[in-house]
Amino acid sequence: MSEKIFGYAGQILRIDLSKKKILKESLRKDFIKKYIGCTGYAAAILWYELKPKIDPLSPENKIIFSTGPLTGTLCPCSGSYEICFKSPLTNAFGESRSGGIFGPKMKYAGFDHIIIEGKSDKPVYIWINNGEVEIKDAQHLYGKTVHETTEIILEEIKEPEASIACIGPAGEKLVRFAAVMNDRDRAAGRCGGGAIMGSKNLKAIAINGEKDIEIANPEKFYEFVTEAEKALLKKTALRRFGTINAITVLNAMGALPTKYGYTGFFERAEDVSSERLLSKYLIKRRACFACPIGCGRYSEVKHGIWATPPHEGPEFETADMLGPWIYLSNLEAIIKANYLCNNYGLDTISAGNVIAFAIECYEKGWIKEDLVKGIKLEWNNPETMIELIKLIAKRERIGDLLAEGVMRAAEKIGYGAPELALHTKGLEMPAHDPRGETKIMAIKYAVEYRGGCHVHSGFPGLYDRSPESLNDYGLKQFGLPWPPKGKFIEEGKGIAYRFFAIFGQIPEIMGMCQFASMGSEGNMITAKDYANIYSSLTGIEMNEYDLMKIGERVYNLKRCFNVREGFNRKDDKLPKRMYEPIATGPVKGEYVKNLDLMLNEFYEAMGWDIETGIPTFKKLKELGLEDVAEELKKI
Amino acid sequence: MWKNIIIHPKKCTGCHLCELYCSFHHFKINNPSRSRIHVVRSEPYIDSPVLCIQCGLCINSCPVGAIIRNKKNGAINVLIDKCIGCAQCVFVCPYGAATIDPVTKKALICDLCDGEPECVKNCPEKVLEYVDSTKAVYYKNLIISKLLKKESVPLEPYPK
Repeated sequence: MSEKIFGYAGQILRIDLSKKKILKESLRKDFIKKYIGCTGYAAAILWYELKPKIDPLSPENKIIFSTGPLTGTLCPCSGSYEICFKSPLTNAFGESRSGGIFGPKMKYAGFDHIIIEGKSDKPVYIWINNGEVEIKDAQHLYGKTVHETTEIILEEIKEPEASIACIGPAGEKLVRFAAVMNDRDRAAGRCGGGAIMGSKNLKAIAINGEKDIEIANPEKFYEFVTEAEKALLKKTALRRFGTINAITVLNAMGALPTKYGYTGFFERAEDVSSERLLSKYLIKRRACFACPIGCGRYSEVKHGIWATPPHEGPEFETADMLGPWIYLSNLEAIIKANYLCNNYGLDTISAGNVIAFAIECYEKGWIKEDLVKGIKLEWNNPETMIELIKLIAKRERIGDLLAEGVMRAAEKIGYGAPELALHTKGLEMPAHDPRGETKIMAIKYAVEYRGGCHVHSGFPGLYDRSPESLNDYGLKQFGLPWPPKGKFIEEGKGIAYRFFAIFGQIPEIMGMCQFASMGSEGNMITAKDYANIYSSLTGIEMNEYDLMKIGERVYNLKRCFNVREGFNRKDDKLPKRMYEPIATGPVKGEYVKNLDLMLNEFYEAMGWDIETGIPTFKKLKELGLEDVAEELKKI
Repeated sequence: MWKNIIIHPKKCTGCHLCELYCSFHHFKINNPSRSRIHVVRSEPYIDSPVLCIQCGLCINSCPVGAIIRNKKNGAINVLIDKCIGCAQCVFVCPYGAATIDPVTKKALICDLCDGEPECVKNCPEKVLEYVDSTKAVYYKNLIISKLLKKESVPLEPYPK
C-alpha cells in the first residue's frame, strides 16, 4: 500500500478458483471517491469486470464479499458485510447483507473486499488468517449442514476466534434462493448468493485477523459515534421485542400478509407474536458486532416434536413467511423451520413464498397428483412445511421444481401460475404488503434493482405509516415531501420514494445495518451523521449533500447494470394479486390502483427516461458516469 | 475506597462494543484483539465478557518488574517501556484476562482506564458495573452461593 487510507483496510483479495491463483490488489482511490465502498465499490467492480448476459451460475460470474469504511469500527451497527453478484434468481444485480462478525473480521484480516472468480474443479474452502490465504480441500464437508461445517472447520484451522461464512446442502444443490450463512445463524439470504458459491464449488470462507483500523480524527470520531449510540438506544421496542414485533403491529393495521397475500389480517396472530416468543422460547437477545440495538433473538424449543437446539431467530420475515403466509400459527413449528432453513442454507423469505405458492397451485388443481405423492399440500399444515423445506434443500421430487424459485416454477407449472406468482423480476416478495401497509412499498417493489425486496435500498414503510408519523428519516432538508399525505394516496409516492432510494444506498455503501437508518432525527443515524462519522474516520471531508450525490450515483450504476442485462420499464411491474382487493380485515378492499402514475413520477424525479425507465445520458453525465452512459448507448 | 468491575453475564448480547471502546481508549484505533476485555461466545448459550479482576497475581510473575499496582485507584498498570513481552503474566493469569498485544508484542492488562472504565460507561446492556470493592465482594458471594445451590444467575433477556 503506497499511502495510508484511514478507515479502510486498503486491500482487495482476488481469488481465481479455476487457476488457484491468489492476488492482492490495492484499493482504488478514485473508486473510493466515487462509490465509497461496500456495495457501491462492488457494483463498480461488477460493472467493469462482468460480461453482459452471462449465465449467473457459470464460472464467468463473480461473487464479491464487501465491507464498507465503517465496518468493524466503533460506529454502532457497523458489523455488516454484503455479497454482490449477478443473481441466479433475477439475472439482475444481486446483493445481500448479513451481520454477525464476519465483515469486521475481513477488515481486521486486512481486506475490504474478497472477489471470488472462476470455478474450482473440486470442493474447497478458503482460510484467511491475518492476510495469509490458503485454499483447502473441502470434499469431506460436502453435504454437511451449516452448523456441522462451522464446527468441523473451526476444529481444523485451530482458531476458535475465526468467523466462518459457508453454504449448506441447498447451496451445493444450486437451489436458486440458497443463502450464504455466517457465524452459524446469520444469513445473507436473498438473491441466491449460496447458489453462486455452490456453482464455484466453494463451501466456505473462514477468516480471522488482528490488524488495526486507524482513525484520522479520533476525538471527533468518538464524539459522533457515542452520540449515534445514544440515538439508537432509543429504539426500545426493537430492542425489547425484536423485529418479530411487526407481526402484531402489521396485523392491527390489516397489513400482515396472510395466506399467500389473499388477505392482510390473520385472526390467530397472537399465537406467533413476539410476546409469545418472549415468554416461552426466547433464551436471550443476541447482537451483531458493535450493535447496541440487539434485535436478534436466540431461542430454542426444549421439548416435543418440534424440539430444536438453541439458535438465532426467528425474525419477523421468517415468522410471517413460514407462518401466517402459509396460514399457520404454530410458533414451535416456525422455530423448527427457521432452524432447518438456517442449517440447510435457505433464504426463509423465498422458501416461505414458494411453499405457499405450491399450496395454492395445488388447491387450484394446477399441480399434478404424482408430483406430490405422500405430501398433503394444504394450508396450516406444519408437517407439510417442514417436509417441503427438506425436499427443496435436497432438490428431490416437487422440491426440485420449487428450488428454481417462484418465477421459474410458475412457468413450468403453467395454467394461471405465472399470474399468481408473487415476485418482481424473479425475486420472491417478502412479508410487507404494499396494498395494506403503505403505497410507497408498491413503487419500491416495482422499481427495485434486486427485485421484490423491502430493504434494499432503504425501508420507506415508516414514512407515512400513521397520520401522526414523525419519521422523516432526516430527509426533509433534501426536499422530501412533508408532511406525508396519507398511506393510501398514490399521488406523490413516486417523488417521495426517490429520496428513500438514494438515502438507502448510504448505509449500504458505508457497511452499516439498515435498522440504524430508519426513523427521525434523534433516534437514527441521518445522512448528516453519516457524513460526520465518515469524515472524522477517514479524513476525507464530506457533507450530507456529497453523500446523497454518491448515493444517487450508486443507485444509478446498479440500475445501469440491470439495463445492460436487458431490463427496462416493462420489468418494473407488480404481480397481479397486488391489483386485487385485500379480502378481509381492517383495510379490506385496498389495492394498488395506478402504478403507472407512481412510475412516471419516480422516473421523472430520478431524471430517467419516462418511456423506457433507463437513466438518461444527461443524468449519468451529471453523476460522473459518462463511460457507463457510453456503454449503454451501444445497446 | 478502591473500586472494581463486576459482570452480569446473562445480560450480554455479545456485541463486542466493550472491546472496541477499550482498544479505542488506549490506542485510538479500532481493533478488538488489542482490547483488555474479551467477549466470549461459546455455543450454546454463552455470551460473556471476561476481564481482569485486579487480583495482582501477575505482579510477582513479571521477571522485570514491569507490572505495578497503581496506588491511586488500585488498578494494575503495565510499564510499557519495561515490558519485554515474555508472557509470564499471561501464563499466570487464572482468568485469561492478560494477553499480549498482537501489534506491539507487549502485555495488555486492564488498567481501569484511570478510574473511569470506558467499557462500563458504554455498554448498551449494562452488563458491567463499576462498584465499591465491598459490593463486589457481596456479588461474588452471591454467585458462589447460587453455584452451591446449583442455581443460575437470574435471567434478564431484555432491558427494562
